[in-house]
Amino acid sequence: MSADAQRSEVTLNKTLLTGACGAILHDIDLAKGVDASLFNAIDQALMEHGVIFFRDQVITREQHKAFGRLFGELHYHPAAPGPEGHPEILIIHADEKSTFSAGQGWHSDVSCDAEPPMGSILQLESVPDTGGDTLFSNMYAAYEALSDRMRNLITGMSAIHSGKHVYQGRYNVAADEMVREYPESEHPIVRTHPVTKKPALFVNSGFTTQIVGMKPKESKAILEHLYQHIALPDFQCRFKWEPNSMAFWDNRCMQHHAVFDYWPQVRHGERVTVAGDKPFYDDAA
Amino acid sequence: MSEPAKNVASNLQYDLLTPHSGAEFHNIDLSADVSQNVIDEIENLLVTYGVVFFRDQQLTREQHRNLVARFGQLHIHPAAPAPEGFPEIIVIHSDAKSKGVAGSGWHSDVSCDPQPPAASMLYMKSMPAVGGDTLFSNMYAAYDALSDSLKTYLEGLTAVHSGADVYRGGSYKKEAAGGRLPVSEHPVIRTHPVSKRKALFVNYGFTRQLVGLPRRESDNMLRFLFDHVNDPHFQVRFAWQPGSIAFWDNRCVQHYPTDDYFPASRTAERVTLSGDTPCYEEA
Repeated sequence: MSADAQRSEVTLNKTLLTGACGAILHDIDLAKGVDASLFNAIDQALMEHGVIFFRDQVITREQHKAFGRLFGELHYHPAAPGPEGHPEILIIHADEKSTFSAGQGWHSDVSCDAEPPMGSILQLESVPDTGGDTLFSNMYAAYEALSDRMRNLITGMSAIHSGKHVYQGRYNVAADEMVREYPESEHPIVRTHPVTKKPALFVNSGFTTQIVGMKPKESKAILEHLYQHIALPDFQCRFKWEPNSMAFWDNRCMQHHAVFDYWPQVRHGERVTVAGDKPFYDDAA
Repeated sequence: MSEPAKNVASNLQYDLLTPHSGAEFHNIDLSADVSQNVIDEIENLLVTYGVVFFRDQQLTREQHRNLVARFGQLHIHPAAPAPEGFPEIIVIHSDAKSKGVAGSGWHSDVSCDPQPPAASMLYMKSMPAVGGDTLFSNMYAAYDALSDSLKTYLEGLTAVHSGADVYRGGSYKKEAAGGRLPVSEHPVIRTHPVSKRKALFVNYGFTRQLVGLPRRESDNMLRFLFDHVNDPHFQVRFAWQPGSIAFWDNRCVQHYPTDDYFPASRTAERVTLSGDTPCYEEA
């Protein structure tokens, strides 16, 4: 849905998490369905805050998927097939047998895809008493805070994003399928958000491997700097989950980091991912 | 809402905000007479979780100062101006005229002093509705998360901490610091004097060099360690309200004031406890 769409007539009751990003939207029951004016209000809040949160949402898989479809086609994860009958659903689970948890480290979801997801909608049913927070970082703010010289350097350049080192061995995909299953793509380092038209930093420590057209040592130094920059708390919020909390983040202008500090407790939920478009940079925007 | 981890000790109730950092107390009025039992329990949690929080407190400057004095000797900041009659209090204020807190980054308070402060208690007076959170990172957890071989590499090393950049052009009171320049050498791995646990003790704000190593090696190792301190696994992020208090142990946590509320106005007051010379004890 474009920013030019009909403006919302619904005023949302919301709580901002920080000065940088994140808003909790109150008084919404997604199981009751979302009409056009509520959709517009939620969509605007997502564009404005980068990530939005809902508490106490008890919804079926069908309702979860239907909510996602309001924002676009659903995305199928390249390496993690969904549960029976629900290939669009990604199960997020960690327990006492886990040696890692999905989403540790700063990343944008599946940025190795040629058309990475527009956004992800995660609902957690079971959460630890303490621990298991998710952090979000605003890539508009991260871009703005770079020096003029650094912005000039990276704007217009592109970088390689690879899924192989991330997904290999994690999701029990047969070895002969790897070449097909693990995509690699080239994306602009500074990306114009297709709706807000604002520039956002679009490299992440999870998937980005190399800046195109730079010497390897230069690329390594610049990427290392950008990863440290993205990790600064000034651009962030930190969300504490409750059972049935839901987070919806815009992958085009946000990165996130799921903290795995709750072992051996259980953290379980499901994610629906909305398909996105091919990242581009528009210097006229 | 999930049932948070409730704990009761000495009739004190608190929640752990994250597994490693941050205990938030409930049902305690710090302006009232606080028993020695409670002081002991607060100190116990302080040295374990690195930082403790209190909400909705109403303290006069005298009560704030006297409360902190229950935990030890008060510290006079070498650079910061104090309000009339309260040399132990630092007023921390920013508004539309401020350059912001940008770049202060992760630090341990005044670690350039030969005997850096043991702990600081910050009392929030006024602030914007949103923004200006402070993050705390637990340096026991940061140490524990290093590989055994890197722990071995770092143990016994010392580092130079300098206030020269930080207080450049400022009002560092050389006289208050005994005429010394704000430069000190401290162990990289520090044994906490109360808990006896090992904590990482280099910080982005003040640490400039690992002593005895080639400069390039020192630069690269420090860069790695500063990045390591910024791992969210060790951290808690605290959202202030007027009347909130954070009491942190500078010997085992670092903190980071976020710069996301300019040009809003924010005022807090800090009272600081003197500390000892950092040392490393082989276990």
